[in-house]
Amino acid sequence: MGRITMIHVEGLTKLFGDFVAVNDLSFSVRAGEVLGLVGPNGAGKTTTLRCLAGIIPPTRGTVHICGSDLARDPIAAKRQLAFFNDEPRLFDYLTVEQHLAFTARIYQVEHYRPLADQLLLEFELTEKRNALPGELSRGMKQKLVIACGLLHSPTVIYFDEPLTGLDPLGIRRMKDSILNRARAGAAMIISSHLLHLVQEICTHILILKNGRKVIGGTLEEITRKFSELHGDASLEEIFFRATSESGAPAPPPPPVSIEDQEPL
Amino acid sequence: MRAPGMISALLYLQYHSFRNRLISRVARLKQPKYLVGAIAGGIYFYFYFFRYLFRRGGVWGQGLSPRYELLVELLGALVLFVIVLLAWLIPHERAALTFTEAEVAFLFPAPISRRALIHFKLMRSQVRIFFTILFLTLLTRRSGGNAWTHAIGWWLIFSTLSLHFLGSSFARTMLLDRGISNRMRRLMVFLFVLALAGFVTVWAKRTLPKLNASDLSDLNSIADYAQRVLNSGPALYLLYPFRLVARPYLAGDAGAFLNALGPALLILLLHYAWVVRSNVAFEEASVEASQKLAAKLAAARAGNWQGVKTLRKGKRPLFKLAVTGPPATALFWKNLISAGQAFTFRIWVTIVILAVAIYAGLGTNSHSRDLFSGLAILIGILLGWSLLIGPQIVRQDLRQDLPLADVLKMYPMRGWQVVLGEVLAPVAILAGAQWLLVLFGAAFLLHARGMSEGPLPLAIAFSAILLLPMLDLLLLLIPNAAVLLFPAWIQAGREGPRGIEATGQRLILVLGQLLVFAVTLLPAAAVSAAVFFVIKLALGAAIAVALPPAAVAAAVILAVEAGLGVMLLGRLFERFDLSAELNP
Repeated sequence: MGRITMIHVEGLTKLFGDFVAVNDLSFSVRAGEVLGLVGPNGAGKTTTLRCLAGIIPPTRGTVHICGSDLARDPIAAKRQLAFFNDEPRLFDYLTVEQHLAFTARIYQVEHYRPLADQLLLEFELTEKRNALPGELSRGMKQKLVIACGLLHSPTVIYFDEPLTGLDPLGIRRMKDSILNRARAGAAMIISSHLLHLVQEICTHILILKNGRKVIGGTLEEITRKFSELHGDASLEEIFFRATSESGAPAPPPPPVSIEDQEPL
Repeated sequence: MRAPGMISALLYLQYHSFRNRLISRVARLKQPKYLVGAIAGGIYFYFYFFRYLFRRGGVWGQGLSPRYELLVELLGALVLFVIVLLAWLIPHERAALTFTEAEVAFLFPAPISRRALIHFKLMRSQVRIFFTILFLTLLTRRSGGNAWTHAIGWWLIFSTLSLHFLGSSFARTMLLDRGISNRMRRLMVFLFVLALAGFVTVWAKRTLPKLNASDLSDLNSIADYAQRVLNSGPALYLLYPFRLVARPYLAGDAGAFLNALGPALLILLLHYAWVVRSNVAFEEASVEASQKLAAKLAAARAGNWQGVKTLRKGKRPLFKLAVTGPPATALFWKNLISAGQAFTFRIWVTIVILAVAIYAGLGTNSHSRDLFSGLAILIGILLGWSLLIGPQIVRQDLRQDLPLADVLKMYPMRGWQVVLGEVLAPVAILAGAQWLLVLFGAAFLLHARGMSEGPLPLAIAFSAILLLPMLDLLLLLIPNAAVLLFPAWIQAGREGPRGIEATGQRLILVLGQLLVFAVTLLPAAAVSAAVFFVIKLALGAAIAVALPPAAVAAAVILAVEAGLGVMLLGRLFERFDLSAELNP
């Protein structure tokens, strides 16, 4: 199970007019692997994920999900997929329960009720089953999106900033949930600026800059490679060296003096 | 922060917000879709409004007839009185100056006094009032009068009302702070109005000549009587301040305008003093209001008008969604829930019961035949309107879901399945309403023409029932195709494209839709006409016999066209590049 290639990307390129958002990106993610997609703002992480989810068509290149070509056989590919955006995207007029019923029909999940109840319980939404999204906090909306996404037991999961809006307990549960699903054989890609999260749960790292792959490989490989060149290197240090021109940290802020302030 | 510095900062914000908005409006004219829209909108506005600005005529143009001058002033004052009264009667919230979330974030924590915030709000409202005045002046200019006095008159009316609303909201908050509940306040205002109305009525009965039939014999007599009532006794004093506010707008010449200007300005200044001297804590309610406003703007910006309305509780689905079956049904089910109150069994059953009750009640009347003929004609007109306007009103389809197109694109569904699922709900809602109308129309027609002529109304009803859903489907496919082909043109919502260019875009779209619909009707019309004439002329059958087969033929052609349309739109949806169209 651990050796099956679940996501295979070859020469992925996305152009917006003349602007190259993603440039000739190739990589694979196998079952049980968690790939951390990192890079500075505008590096092309979200665009890459949106191409991999079939939301936007790539300009060039191919994406295979569990062996199905996303462009040629989108239905088979999408049945295996779940994509969790950083911003929860829900239908304002459907209740929590109706969202689950709707998703079950879309993905043809027979006998979804026990699973839905379990997910509601896991994400502490049981008491909110009749609530509309407008009545939920941002974190709860995020949990509902995740519950809907997990209802069809996807084997390929993408997260775009998965911890946004979650409370500490939610963050802990989310991390556990990601790791458990990876252990169960799912392939995952996580795009995040939280390098400690990436370091904690990802098995592989892909650093992007200006749409191009700068570094890719397992966390150990990358750390070892950088350590050989620059001494002991944390993921943060690797990120800065890989993505900034100088690698120099930002200058310190000017000192603040209470005495300088004009009284109100 | 010192007051002048603060005011200049707020003016800076106001000026640059306006300037940047204007620049971006002009800059987007580089895009052909906005340029074409601007040209079309410009032509429309010129022919509807602006050409009246350049027409020859006296400086004051055509004024009101002297006979009606006073009456119009009195009625205008009465309208203002009612508006002010409602401002004291209806609202129940605490005073909340509506700021955007960004303004709350920047201004509320800043060292800015409450009074300065009120001034900022007043400045903002002046910008809104300016554009309202511009529009109203152009509109009223069509019927003559001096544009400048009209503009200043409108400004006085709107500014005074705006200040009054603000002042009354402050007063309401102060009353609430002193333990006087909304119910108590409303009761007091209601009793005040009741006492006033009673006073005016008693006075009118005692002093005015009794109202008799001659006072209501024609429009002039009614106007004279109303003028007598409103221009004497307590009504005279009660409406006097409101008349002062309305008078500059209605002034017939320069002298009258200048005479009216002073008192109206004085009332405006008194309102201003009232508002800026009120020291009411509005911040907490304003923060809440700004969040609601932000949510509504986000919903509107996303084209989701359901979201603009505050949804309080979930709607019960019309039917239970089975887990297996075509996935398109899930979208149909979802959009019916979105339609909410418009499509619940309870409402439809209530309509049917009401209509049957009316029908039964009228049926016993011996003079009801003409009435039923009239009602049948009315239903025919309504059906025509439902085809024209219905698809614009019932929008639970891709027009609603376009902002969530990324979610839809992730579903394991073919494009045609998504499109079919999306348009089914509005088709069902429109067809349901139309079928009801057809059934009642047929019943009315049968009653009016007698049962002996039964076959023709029944043939018409059968044909309509067959054709209407197909026509609805085709009509709904056109705007949904426009959404996928020109999403930037369709963007709905308050924050969508506005201005002359947006008006022009809408005009072009409506004309385009009508043209496409006419073209799609041609094959069906040709085939059904051929079938009809073959049966009628060649076989010598009656119209009632020839009509249903012709309708069936037309329905088949329309169904084929609709099917092809769904497939085509499905392909468009699959190729729809969200990144290029919605997030450039």
